[in-house]
Amino acid sequence: MMMEPLILEDVEKSFKDGDKVNHIVKNLSFRLKMCEVVAIVGPSGSGKSTFLSIAGALQSPDRGKVIINGTDIASFSDVEKANIRLNHLGYIFQTSNLVPYLKVEEQLSLVLKMANQWSKDSKRKVKAMLIAVEMEHRSKFYPHQLSGGERQRVAIARAFINAPEIILADEPTASLDSNRSIAIIELISNIVKEQNKSAIIVTHDEQILPLCDRIYVMRDGQLIEQGNRK
Amino acid sequence: MYSLPFKEMTFFKVRYLLISFILFFVAILVFVISGLANGLSMNNASSIINMPAQSFYLQKSAEDRIDRSHLRVDLEKLTAKSEAQPIGIQMGAISKVNSEDKLDITFMAVQPGSFLDPAGQGLETREENAVFLDRSLSGTVKKGMIVEDARSGVSLKVAGFLDDQTFSHTPVALISLGTWGEIAGRSGKSEFNGIAISKENVRVKKEIASLMKNGEWVEKDQVVKGIPGYTAEQNSLYMMLSFLIVIAVFVLAAFFYIMTIQKTVQFGILKAIGAKSSQLVKSTIFQVIMLTIVSIAAAVAFTKGFMEILPDDIPFIFDFVQIAKFSGILFLVSIFGSLLSVLNIVKADPIQAMGRVE
Repeated sequence: MMMEPLILEDVEKSFKDGDKVNHIVKNLSFRLKMCEVVAIVGPSGSGKSTFLSIAGALQSPDRGKVIINGTDIASFSDVEKANIRLNHLGYIFQTSNLVPYLKVEEQLSLVLKMANQWSKDSKRKVKAMLIAVEMEHRSKFYPHQLSGGERQRVAIARAFINAPEIILADEPTASLDSNRSIAIIELISNIVKEQNKSAIIVTHDEQILPLCDRIYVMRDGQLIEQGNRK
Repeated sequence: MYSLPFKEMTFFKVRYLLISFILFFVAILVFVISGLANGLSMNNASSIINMPAQSFYLQKSAEDRIDRSHLRVDLEKLTAKSEAQPIGIQMGAISKVNSEDKLDITFMAVQPGSFLDPAGQGLETREENAVFLDRSLSGTVKKGMIVEDARSGVSLKVAGFLDDQTFSHTPVALISLGTWGEIAGRSGKSEFNGIAISKENVRVKKEIASLMKNGEWVEKDQVVKGIPGYTAEQNSLYMMLSFLIVIAVFVLAAFFYIMTIQKTVQFGILKAIGAKSSQLVKSTIFQVIMLTIVSIAAAVAFTKGFMEILPDDIPFIFDFVQIAKFSGILFLVSIFGSLLSVLNIVKADPIQAMGRVE
């Protein structure tokens, strides 16, 4: 059996709201398989982002297990979590969130340099990645010289460049029109299949759901499976 | 990693230039005021400041003011000891022969050839009643000219000029102990302002103190501070300097802080893709250090140039040691100012980068 890159077991996270304790995520269990793209939908405030930030090693849960590549990171320190993010996770944000003062190719090489993965081969790797997202012709451009769709492509390339096992996307199509949205999700899906990765996409965008392998609905702090294409 | 802060600075040129300019101008102001404080200090008291004396024996009731101190000195007993020298200081005026115009000066009487004598052997090989004047008078009187003491009418022959000999902003007229006797008249002949020693010597100090009961030993620094007007001048300038530095802390802290706040989301993104707080803090501190070094270096160069174009009658001294000291203080101040921002970097939350927080 193939290893599951991400497993959440019985995770709970609550926030204090005045003197009331708000359970955002409760008894949540989730398993992500290799090579699949999972969509998570749900009303706002249902805990989608909290789920994503726990799965993405940005926050620690109050209880439960978060197993990334076989390691439980639930009680990791900030520095250890940063290393997990650097080496095992790739993020794609609502807006592309590129670093404004770096050229397109530098956005990608920065990630490799931070991970101490910079080698002779890296230039070629960056180029190949930019070709994969069809942005090679823009490699010397700054983010403000690119269109919204182009920036999101660069952000996708950045998320994949350090070969993470898991891609986490938070509303990646929110700032794009419908044609571009579909193209972006197809792009993520293609790279996931080609390179044996997996992806979680939190979204409001109904039209991209057919492109995902499984769809979960987040309701009252729980994930409920809605559809399975397989 | 160090290319990152450079790329940021070159991309946001205007923003970083503005901060550098603030630092640059604050540094200039600090350097110029310290230069003026130095210049005024030398202009006021250079004769005592440059004097190779360690401490002075002054009358107790004079409260460290050498111009107020009066000691009746038995010259014969004293001159037996060359390590202790009497010094006479008397504010006065001189005029050229057949001229009504008076020049304010301060008579300073020392034993020719002693360690107190800035003219070296000049006074000793003198003609009758030789006087050396501060160079600031070289435009008004000429070497070899005869001048008269306005009060006693004693004639003095200008034997030469000396650099940096002022007391309480007046040029010093250096005379021998013999001339001092003539100017002071019979009653003041053996009355001097103090006794100076060139280096710490407990035995000599005790002997002098037993010779004259009504005095006390005062360090040179205290004597300089006791010169009329000296402390008031220096204190007001140093008050300006210290306020300037306090203001610099707050202005720089505010600027760095605003800049960091602007970048909070960016820090969040960088953290989300795996940057550690320590890397971001290092990169920010590195930027601050770069900015500070460049701005301060430019300010030092500017101050040096500014000194050249300053008219001669504004006393200004570019003291490299002091400039280096203030540069160090400003450097620490800007590092200190950026600490608040460091706190913000550590707190920057990668979750904010996700665009929404529940």
